[in-house]
Amino acid sequence: MTPIPIQQATRRRKALRAWFDPRGRGLGFIAFALQRITGLGLVLYLLLHMAVLTTLLQGESAWDQFVAFAKSPIMLLFDLLLIAGILIHGLNGLRVSIVGLGFGVKQHKTFFWIMMLLSALLFVYAGWLLFAH
Amino acid sequence: MQKTTPSKRGGSWIWQALTGVLLILLLGLHMIAQHFVVSGGLRTFQDVIDYLRNPVILVLEAIFMLVVTYHAMVGVRAILYDLGLDEAGKKKATTVLTILGALIIVWAAYLLLRLTSM
Amino acid sequence: MSNNGRPGPKTPVTLKILRYKPGSIDPPRYDTFQVDADPLMTVLDALEEIRATEDPTLAYRHSCHHASCGTCAMKVNGKDVLSCVTKVLDQKSDVIVVEPLGTMPLVADLVVDMGDFARRYEPAGLSFVRESEYLTEAQTPEGVERYTRFESCIECGICLSACPVANTNASFIGPAGLAAWYRSLQKGDGERADILAAVDSDCGVWGCHGAMECTEACPSQVQPGDLIMYLRREVVKSKLPWAH
Repeated sequence: MTPIPIQQATRRRKALRAWFDPRGRGLGFIAFALQRITGLGLVLYLLLHMAVLTTLLQGESAWDQFVAFAKSPIMLLFDLLLIAGILIHGLNGLRVSIVGLGFGVKQHKTFFWIMMLLSALLFVYAGWLLFAH
Repeated sequence: MQKTTPSKRGGSWIWQALTGVLLILLLGLHMIAQHFVVSGGLRTFQDVIDYLRNPVILVLEAIFMLVVTYHAMVGVRAILYDLGLDEAGKKKATTVLTILGALIIVWAAYLLLRLTSM
Repeated sequence: MSNNGRPGPKTPVTLKILRYKPGSIDPPRYDTFQVDADPLMTVLDALEEIRATEDPTLAYRHSCHHASCGTCAMKVNGKDVLSCVTKVLDQKSDVIVVEPLGTMPLVADLVVDMGDFARRYEPAGLSFVRESEYLTEAQTPEGVERYTRFESCIECGICLSACPVANTNASFIGPAGLAAWYRSLQKGDGERADILAAVDSDCGVWGCHGAMECTEACPSQVQPGDLIMYLRREVVKSKLPWAH
């Protein structure tokens, strides 16, 4: 087996372009991309969340200011986005774990839609909690 | 040309799946305890402090932080690996993310300690 | 031109073909050609017509013309297909974009370096034996309803091109290679432990993220994505404490 010399830079450029080319892609790619995008979003949120919690160290008035800000409509929309990300990443991740161990492989698409339906239902419930309370 | 020496990563896939399942439970608890059962969705300052003084909650939140940080760093590493890193690049990615993860955990531990002693 | 001599109504279609010649057409560009397509004209037919009548320098690979040899795989409107069984008018578009497969390095025009495929496929050491699925005298044993074709892979490279992981990761064994390992395991070619060790890495089964685009795109029902998942299960099973 003789390896073929491939220019690393060309490979990387092509690789990045392939990531953003949705043509000819199916449901599986969409699920895979969703998992990564929501995952990266949640990592950023983790850092943001830590930064926000650090304001607790500055005492009560700083925290109260944040709580007031967090209840503004824009922040509530941001919360909705966060909840959608958590639900999609968590439930699709559960599916990937199960299918990834060889179970329900043939039904992976149906499984994806069931998880998305579940995400949608929980999202509506969470949205209701968020805005009604 | 990239080296094709494979690095063993089977372990981390399994751990990623297991921590993922664990996170569904821990995050579920976190969301319910910290937000859903709280009127207005966010605890007041004193409420947060009192709440964290509950040892069960403190332990749960600490475990949640450890697991979520591990899961996040391994996840980011998987994305970086797929950009076609060579072995040196993979090592570098692992080192940087391990340091970042450790910093997040130290930061979280510091926060929890300071808040519970307030 | 007469569509291989077939009579009947023709529809004008534009083919936008990726061109690349190291040193002359570099960076790559798209050239457009017109063909008059009848319902039976395949993308490969169209390429042959363009090569015969308009541009003899157009480079593409083909051999059997009936989805058996796996030579003519390319991207048609972004989808990885065998151009010999992909009809021009079935694309339902006035402009059809024809590009080389992804993942593997580009050689010229629509030709990619299949050595990249071989490099990932060959270590499994699968003998290329393909038995006819139409054997009338074949009898199935008790309890077996019908035979499933085992050696279906035509080594076309479509799965490797469709795989989002292989797209970006040159050291990933890829769908066809991992499927070949799984078939070696099923056939009992070689030591079970050796086979599992060969795929138990981030370049092997753990590199797959289960997008299943390979199974979706495979023109030969190998279903490599499914086989990778089963192979994974075998790896995990072998590691369980009570497996020994």
